[in-house]
Amino acid sequence: MKDARNLKRERLAPATYVLLAAVLLVTMILCVCAGSVRISPGDTVTAVWNTLWGKPVPENIAKNIILNVRLPRVLCVALSGASLSLCGAAMQGLLRNPLADGSTIGVSSGASLGALIAMATGFTLPGSAYGGVMVLAMLFAFGSLVLILSLAYALDRSLATNSIILIGVIYTMFISSIISLIITFSSEHVRSLNFWTLGSFSGVNYDQVKLLCLALIICGGILLHLGDELNAFAIGEDNARHVGVNVKRVKLIVLITISVLIGVCVSISGTVSFVGLVMPHIARMLVGPNHKRLLPASLFSGAIFLLLADLTARTLMSPVELSIGVVTSLVGAVAFVIIFYRTGKAG
Amino acid sequence: MSKKHLLILLAALTLGSSLTVLADEGITVTDMYGREITLAEPATRVVALQPSDCEILCAIGCEDALVGIGEYCDYPESILGTRVVQSGEETNIEEILALEPQVVLMNDMAQSEEQVKQLEDNGIKVAVSHASDIEGVYEAIRMVGQLMGREENAEALITDMQTTFEEIKEKTEAEEEEEEEEKTVYFEVSPLQWGLWAAGKGTFMDELAGICGLTNIFEDVDDWAAVSEEQVIARDPDYIVTITMYYGDGPTPVEEIMEREGWQDMKAVKNGQIFNASDSNALSRPGPRLKDAAVELYNFIYGEGSGETAAEAETEEAAPAA
Repeated sequence: MKDARNLKRERLAPATYVLLAAVLLVTMILCVCAGSVRISPGDTVTAVWNTLWGKPVPENIAKNIILNVRLPRVLCVALSGASLSLCGAAMQGLLRNPLADGSTIGVSSGASLGALIAMATGFTLPGSAYGGVMVLAMLFAFGSLVLILSLAYALDRSLATNSIILIGVIYTMFISSIISLIITFSSEHVRSLNFWTLGSFSGVNYDQVKLLCLALIICGGILLHLGDELNAFAIGEDNARHVGVNVKRVKLIVLITISVLIGVCVSISGTVSFVGLVMPHIARMLVGPNHKRLLPASLFSGAIFLLLADLTARTLMSPVELSIGVVTSLVGAVAFVIIFYRTGKAG
Repeated sequence: MSKKHLLILLAALTLGSSLTVLADEGITVTDMYGREITLAEPATRVVALQPSDCEILCAIGCEDALVGIGEYCDYPESILGTRVVQSGEETNIEEILALEPQVVLMNDMAQSEEQVKQLEDNGIKVAVSHASDIEGVYEAIRMVGQLMGREENAEALITDMQTTFEEIKEKTEAEEEEEEEEKTVYFEVSPLQWGLWAAGKGTFMDELAGICGLTNIFEDVDDWAAVSEEQVIARDPDYIVTITMYYGDGPTPVEEIMEREGWQDMKAVKNGQIFNASDSNALSRPGPRLKDAAVELYNFIYGEGSGETAAEAETEEAAPAA
């Protein structure tokens, strides 16, 4: 029975991708057309269409709002959602842990600490004001990941589900108290950085879109390429070793890739939780547990979910904007409970 | 009570008032929370937890009475040597008791009733001041004046503020008659980088805008709120006032706003009508400096500075802050 279902899923896979891609496209169009300020679809389409083909764009308010505010934001949100969800799926496979995600095992909070330290100390890279924040966010993300994993190893060599999450939760609390300390003892300048803990895509621009795009192409490419290895890991690390996977190397590559991707995301939008945790589960329900299909499906579903969450944050209380973290946590937590309840019942 | 008793009591009262000055001159003040506070004589030792109360005390000439100030009190500079106590949620009762004040001035936001009770059980009077509009500020000044026995100074301060606001109002009304449509303003309290926040209705900035004859573009939002960037662009204000502090590196707050993608066609940006308030606290604290903020805002909009470029205004404003 179960095999039959899996077989059916496998056959459905290409159709599912087409469907997911179509849904993503429709969602993106919806998100560009809808917003806090009502702009006619005609003006919107003209603005985007003319820009795409290099034609002059009529000088009206639609141009500024659609092209300079809404479009970069929609693109950033889609790319972040895809990145976070992909990281979650890869981490869950690598650690054989359905609860693993940047926000649950402490990587995101590590990255925010790095970003905050860069801000507080004014650490910048020559030639780029923003680079310092991003590099420290990535380094701290990787450092946190290594620290948490080594602690979990010391506690329990099999990296059991519970111990790693427990350490992650404790680590997140520890980091958030350090963040509060830094905020308390630093100037008002840094106090405004509180938003990092809630997440916001307000004010993103095309530079950040390009950066996210580049990060997702490189890191996402690497992760998608490692589908077979992750499948082997999902069964067990020993199994991976037996089937000829270079366990250490693959693990290191995956961890670095995840850290870079999460570091870039956090430095742009702050901590957006639950995307990486919930969306891979939904993707798994759609295409099954094979990472070769699961990873791309997570990518699409993460983008769609975050786009809708951001749309809600932008429009629900207009002209006031909600924090996207509030929306993802509310929806994500409920979805998570439902998923676990249903999978628990099915199993 | 029998008539006889009443007579004795009356006699005692008459006698008492003629003999002891204190009993008669005892001060009873109702604070802004509706609680009655009785003092035998004007306070000489005061702990003020709110920056605005510190400013009021100093403005009515009671700086010497300040024995402790809350951690955010930073104006005027002369009070900076005063003992700093924790305020808000972290209010430390022991710390305050050790300073032996007669009165503690605080707002009603973070202190719990137990904390107030603890202070009062130790014989310290707690006066709550919480002003959410300029009328409320007058009330707070009046209350502090009574507690300190400086009613005249308090009234003088209020009159001074009222006169300034009235003058500005008259001038702007005269200017407004010349112009056809009402000008609008956008108050930015947090820059785009950290997510836009604007001052809406029920803020001092909104009230000051009204005094200066401007309409706040976020009248439909209460207090300070995270607002949508799209809305700012669509509502296209004539003036932008930012209270972002400049820390000496990178573009100034005004330059940063001028450089924002998609903002270049807004009226305020095109005309360079962007103003970086020299002191964000003057614009947001319920204290006497609201008057200075109103003058500053008026000068930016109508005064000699109105024709100059934003960059010039910037250097002018940066000087006192440096």
